Amino acid sequence: MANQHDNHETNEDVIILGDQEVLKSDLLTLNMGPQHPATHGVLRVEIKTDSEIVAEAIPHLGYLHRCMEKHCEHLDYRGVIPFVDRMDYLASMSMEWGYALTIEKMLGTEVPRRAQYIRTMIAELQRIASHLMFYGTYAIDLGAFSPFLYAFQDREEILRLFEELSGARLLYNYVWIGGVWNDISDEQLKRVENFCYKMEENMKKYDDLVGQNHIFVGRTANVGVISKDLAYDFGLTGPVLRGSGIKWDLRKDRPYGIYNEFDFDVPVGQGLKGQLGDCWDRYYVRVQEIFESIKIIRQCLDGIEAGPVMGKVSKIIKVPAGEIYMRTECPRGELGYHLISDGGKTPYRLKVKSPCFTNVSILPELAPGQMVADLVATIGSIDIVLGEVDR
Amino acid sequence: MSQTLELKKVEEPELTFTQWWKNVYLGIKTTFIGLKITMKYVWAVKPVTIEYPEVREELPANSRSRLFNDAENCISCLQCSVACPVDCIYITAVKRDADAPKIKTKDGTAIKLDLKQYTIDTALCCYCGLCTTVCPTECLTHTTDYEYAQYTLAAMKYDYLAPDIRAWRHRIVKD
Amino acid sequence: MLNQITDYINSKVPSANAVATTPEKGDGFVTVKAESILEVANALKNSSEFEMNVLQVITGTDYPAASEIELTYVLASFTKNLELLLKVRLPRGDKNNLPKINSVVSVWRAANYQEREAFDMIGVTFVGHPDHRRILTPDDWDGHPLRKDYVVQEVYRGMVVNPAHKVNTEDHFFGKKLKETMDPKKVVNSWKSDDDASVEA
Repeated sequence: MANQHDNHETNEDVIILGDQEVLKSDLLTLNMGPQHPATHGVLRVEIKTDSEIVAEAIPHLGYLHRCMEKHCEHLDYRGVIPFVDRMDYLASMSMEWGYALTIEKMLGTEVPRRAQYIRTMIAELQRIASHLMFYGTYAIDLGAFSPFLYAFQDREEILRLFEELSGARLLYNYVWIGGVWNDISDEQLKRVENFCYKMEENMKKYDDLVGQNHIFVGRTANVGVISKDLAYDFGLTGPVLRGSGIKWDLRKDRPYGIYNEFDFDVPVGQGLKGQLGDCWDRYYVRVQEIFESIKIIRQCLDGIEAGPVMGKVSKIIKVPAGEIYMRTECPRGELGYHLISDGGKTPYRLKVKSPCFTNVSILPELAPGQMVADLVATIGSIDIVLGEVDR
Repeated sequence: MSQTLELKKVEEPELTFTQWWKNVYLGIKTTFIGLKITMKYVWAVKPVTIEYPEVREELPANSRSRLFNDAENCISCLQCSVACPVDCIYITAVKRDADAPKIKTKDGTAIKLDLKQYTIDTALCCYCGLCTTVCPTECLTHTTDYEYAQYTLAAMKYDYLAPDIRAWRHRIVKD
Repeated sequence: MLNQITDYINSKVPSANAVATTPEKGDGFVTVKAESILEVANALKNSSEFEMNVLQVITGTDYPAASEIELTYVLASFTKNLELLLKVRLPRGDKNNLPKINSVVSVWRAANYQEREAFDMIGVTFVGHPDHRRILTPDDWDGHPLRKDYVVQEVYRGMVVNPAHKVNTEDHFFGKKLKETMDPKKVVNSWKSDDDASVEA
């Protein structure tokens, strides 16, 4: 063996995997995606493997690129909202809220109290829906199908409520600049209350079904470990960051809306089943966040006030010249809008800091040395939505 | 320099005999807990799905589905086409002659323009609902009709002045 | 806070020439010289006072009137709970002569994808980037879409962009045709520019 290697001009052609020396040209190139159930959309990961061990993983993005930022430069400020919806289509309400906050802060619009409560409530409901989606698809990634169906049953109730409020099931256009589109009725509030009760029961059950299952723990514990320094270095946010044990939540640390009035905890990963920052910790953080969201929704239901749901906004919105960077905590991490306005009817430049785009950038760092099946678990635990990665 | 890749493996304690049995026990136990939950769903939870072609779901009243313009009440104000973010509404209107008979919409607004073209390219429409909110006479509405798949792009263009579309007016608009 | 950061940058990197701007509306920002971005980034990350440990986003904005491209580095500190917009201005250059700036991947690895996106969208070359490729558009794409003077290429790999049979000219020119047959002052139509059918695709 040694002689063979000496024949090479450089040693750069050789890669040492564990205790084995492998020629780089012997590695098998495998395309995972763009249509692969485990990549949650149209992500293509080009992986180079030696049998089961991944030597390199290169994500190829852009299959869902719609140049939304360019579109926004030609749309009036209200017309941007439907486009913003289409970024993270699993958490449209949170996307809209972030955008509306950006414009409101620039305009100095005062949002009525009732609208604030409704916004907080639907954003938290959206967080539950989004995390339920994660729960279901992650179970599918790891080979369990029925949790997906259970999660969708509960998600369906949230979607039905949103459909009644806004008229659409996925792309709502509900949170408007200055308030929300429609008022919520007492009957619907009652239903939200019942849903909270049911969801709390169900989620405990679901956690027993998947999270505590020994096989699931075996697949996720000690897999895809992200240390604290690595998480900072890659600018990770959201549950992925908190899974690494960093207590950072914008709702708590830089409160927007009326989050400073609510009492809730920020769950962080504790390394209960393995090393701190592994896939199981990220799963755990999301499940605990559902319980925290239920807490916030209950406080919203207690505190909601009567009144209008739309503030005073002029018919044609003209944002004063200047720029602003607004961050909100979305189900998948920190969503930032960087708006540069020249005082006209359309944004001069609207840049979206998408949490998934940053989170997916850690894949090439995590993948080398992993098994292919573990890579699937890692991608699943980062929970990306390609609509937002590619925008 | 050759590239060295550490295998991503966390040092785990050596698998002893008791640990092995504990693993097996935990595996079986947690699986049975899971199976118990699944069995509950099999026997105790009623099906939540509906059998679509036979049973059709009624959408909520303000559902944003197929667009309909009641051209008789339209005053050709062009507000919907301005609000539309994807520019899929085409309107052309002609000023009414001064001596022409006065006509009004249902809510009493005078119609000063004769509508010559009101076409929505629903293949482009993104169903955001912005056009319906700005409509002053509320003639442009989203209906709850959701079964309108078409074979060609041309069929997705709705000319609301054409007789075939006027024909399904009674089905959608409840006076 | 902004002034403190500016003083700090100026004391650590004198060549940076940092200037703080606090507008009436919106967020303030610090502008530094483009040549010193790497030193400034290092200084901000390693300062015990500010500890900008997270690079949130790199935004590129095109200003054709000033013939400049503005890069905004949005930095945040998760430990000190701070936020900073750091700006550099570069000459705009043209297609064959893209503006250059030092890459900050060695400081924050989050910059890897952000710089690739900035290169792809706005056309700024990052010197010292380990993997300098396009990220959202295909590798052989022409032009940088977020520049204000960007025009979509007409044919890409044999595929015609906006082919004539897909543009809805019939409805589009309805108003124009009507104006030819009758008094154009009487006709009102929703499309302001009658000749520009390429707007909708």
